[in-house]
Amino acid sequence: MNFMIVRRAAVYLSLSIATFISIFPFYWMVVGATNESRDIVTGKSTIGTNLVANFQNLLAQVDLAQVFWNSAVVAIAATVLTLAVSSLAGYGFEIFRSRVRERIFQILLLLLSIPFAALMVPLFVMISRAHLSNTFTAVILPTVASIFIIFYFRQATKAFPGELRDAARVDGLKEWQIFLYVYLPSMRSTYAAATIIVFMTSWNNYLWPLIVLQTEDKKTITLVISSLTSAYTPDFGVILLSTVLATLPTLIIFFVLQRQFVQGMLGSVK
Amino acid sequence: MSGLKLRGVRKSFGSVEVIRGIDLDIEPNEFVVFVGPSGCGKSTLLRMIAGLEGITEGELDIGGTRMNDVDPSKRGIAMVFQTYALYPHMSVRQNMGFALKFAGVAKDEIDRQVDEAARILELAPLMHRRPGELSGGQRQRVAIGRAIVRHPEVFLFDEPLSNLDAELRVHMRIEIARLHKELATTIIYVTHDQVEAMTLADKIVVMRDGSVAQVGSPLTLYDDPDNLFVAGFIGSPKMNFLKGVVAESGADVRLPEYGDQIIPLHDSVARPAAGTDVTVGIRPEQFEPDGRTKLDLKIEMIEHLGGETYVYASHNDGEVITVAARDARAVKPGQNFVARFNPTSVLLFGTDGNRIR
Repeated sequence: MNFMIVRRAAVYLSLSIATFISIFPFYWMVVGATNESRDIVTGKSTIGTNLVANFQNLLAQVDLAQVFWNSAVVAIAATVLTLAVSSLAGYGFEIFRSRVRERIFQILLLLLSIPFAALMVPLFVMISRAHLSNTFTAVILPTVASIFIIFYFRQATKAFPGELRDAARVDGLKEWQIFLYVYLPSMRSTYAAATIIVFMTSWNNYLWPLIVLQTEDKKTITLVISSLTSAYTPDFGVILLSTVLATLPTLIIFFVLQRQFVQGMLGSVK
Repeated sequence: MSGLKLRGVRKSFGSVEVIRGIDLDIEPNEFVVFVGPSGCGKSTLLRMIAGLEGITEGELDIGGTRMNDVDPSKRGIAMVFQTYALYPHMSVRQNMGFALKFAGVAKDEIDRQVDEAARILELAPLMHRRPGELSGGQRQRVAIGRAIVRHPEVFLFDEPLSNLDAELRVHMRIEIARLHKELATTIIYVTHDQVEAMTLADKIVVMRDGSVAQVGSPLTLYDDPDNLFVAGFIGSPKMNFLKGVVAESGADVRLPEYGDQIIPLHDSVARPAAGTDVTVGIRPEQFEPDGRTKLDLKIEMIEHLGGETYVYASHNDGEVITVAARDARAVKPGQNFVARFNPTSVLLFGTDGNRIR
């Protein structure tokens, strides 16, 4: 009995520590956004009164609407295109039998192990030669065929009943119609989970946009936050406020799609 | 309504042949059941008729037209699947009207046909629900309704009741039989449950290892099987098989494992040479108290089903014999038991498994 109580206490304690480690940075970010830079440096961790001033300072330094627009265009376009291309590929890999299918898929999985640092120089050369540097297309294009998302959709497609496809064929649907009218709506939760993953990855992408976007009018939110931190005397209140604002869209998407996200990660067909 | 003709139909997956030259005629309005053990190719053959699997060799003819390479939706068939295969994101009404919508049928006409099918299947109160909100039996009725609205020439059912519980299965079996009468259309029905086959079919096609073992009416297959496989597969509990040897007279079969009991051969049966090994088949329900031939057995197990009792017994711990006994409520395992039968009711099979007629 005592052992059970001790074990339960240990579990709750470790969960509490993990929760604290997860939540404290977020709490500190929100609190910091309401404080002056010098209060943050001294470690003040309660809500302050400098939120409006921080906001005014941020607006004075950054064209916030433009920056958010840029990030939104990149993230939304990348999400839509990645889901369209990678879900089609994942579906195709699972549904259509072929002798070389597994070999090609193994090669794709192998490519996952190549770090982006090794790819960015040749990618930049390709983008430059295609005269696409400093465009949103340059940011979006390399992310569209995501091996991870193809893999994710292939795994999820295993739960898609083959008899549904057969029923659709008997009902007179062509392959593309089966994908569009039967598979896609049946796999809503899978798409929801993939939307969150791809949107967050794209919204938070820093290194690749830093390489291909040069002018101020094209910069995304991650690049702007980075430039705020590199000032001679960084204003931590402004930096943390911009970080809070940058976090909001991903938070909203996560909360809107939360239920489907959990179902999608569990691989259910609804 | 259309009939079907299959001539030399074969199917291979790579070097593995799963359907080995099927010849079959199905008449218009006939209820045909493909039955056989798992892996015998019955579902593959049904999918080939539906157009969901290609035909490697041979000819498939539906309603007088060669259909080998015709799209599934243009074969005049509708299919009901084992897992119902209802579109999970659509309501019952949308599921039932989906094929018509894709065929370009006007909305009013779709509604009319869907409502008509819903009336036949008593689905009207469920039309706005999604498949996830229906019970197994309701889902199966929706799947049948989806097939009905297409007004097919041939209905294909692929083990439609195997996901239902026993009570619902009996209910749906009666429903399907009623539908066949009401719609007066050709039905091909796949099952591994021989009770379904016996109760529903006009004609049963017994399949084994990708070939047809025998085709016939349910009672023909039961009374007059062509081979050991069909004799063993049709009938529940299955037929008993006893090892026998043709006696030197040539007119009797001896049962060496049962004290050399003698079974006189019927006059109409071909006479194998003396000393030939044969298999004697006798159904559990053909044992009768006043039978002329007797087997001395020891009871191993008893199943009381209420109206009938099945006695499982053996001679000297040999092959277990199943006896359907009406007046055996008092018997107990371990007791001696005399099973009697009339020699005229037995069937004889040769060493090749084929019936000796």
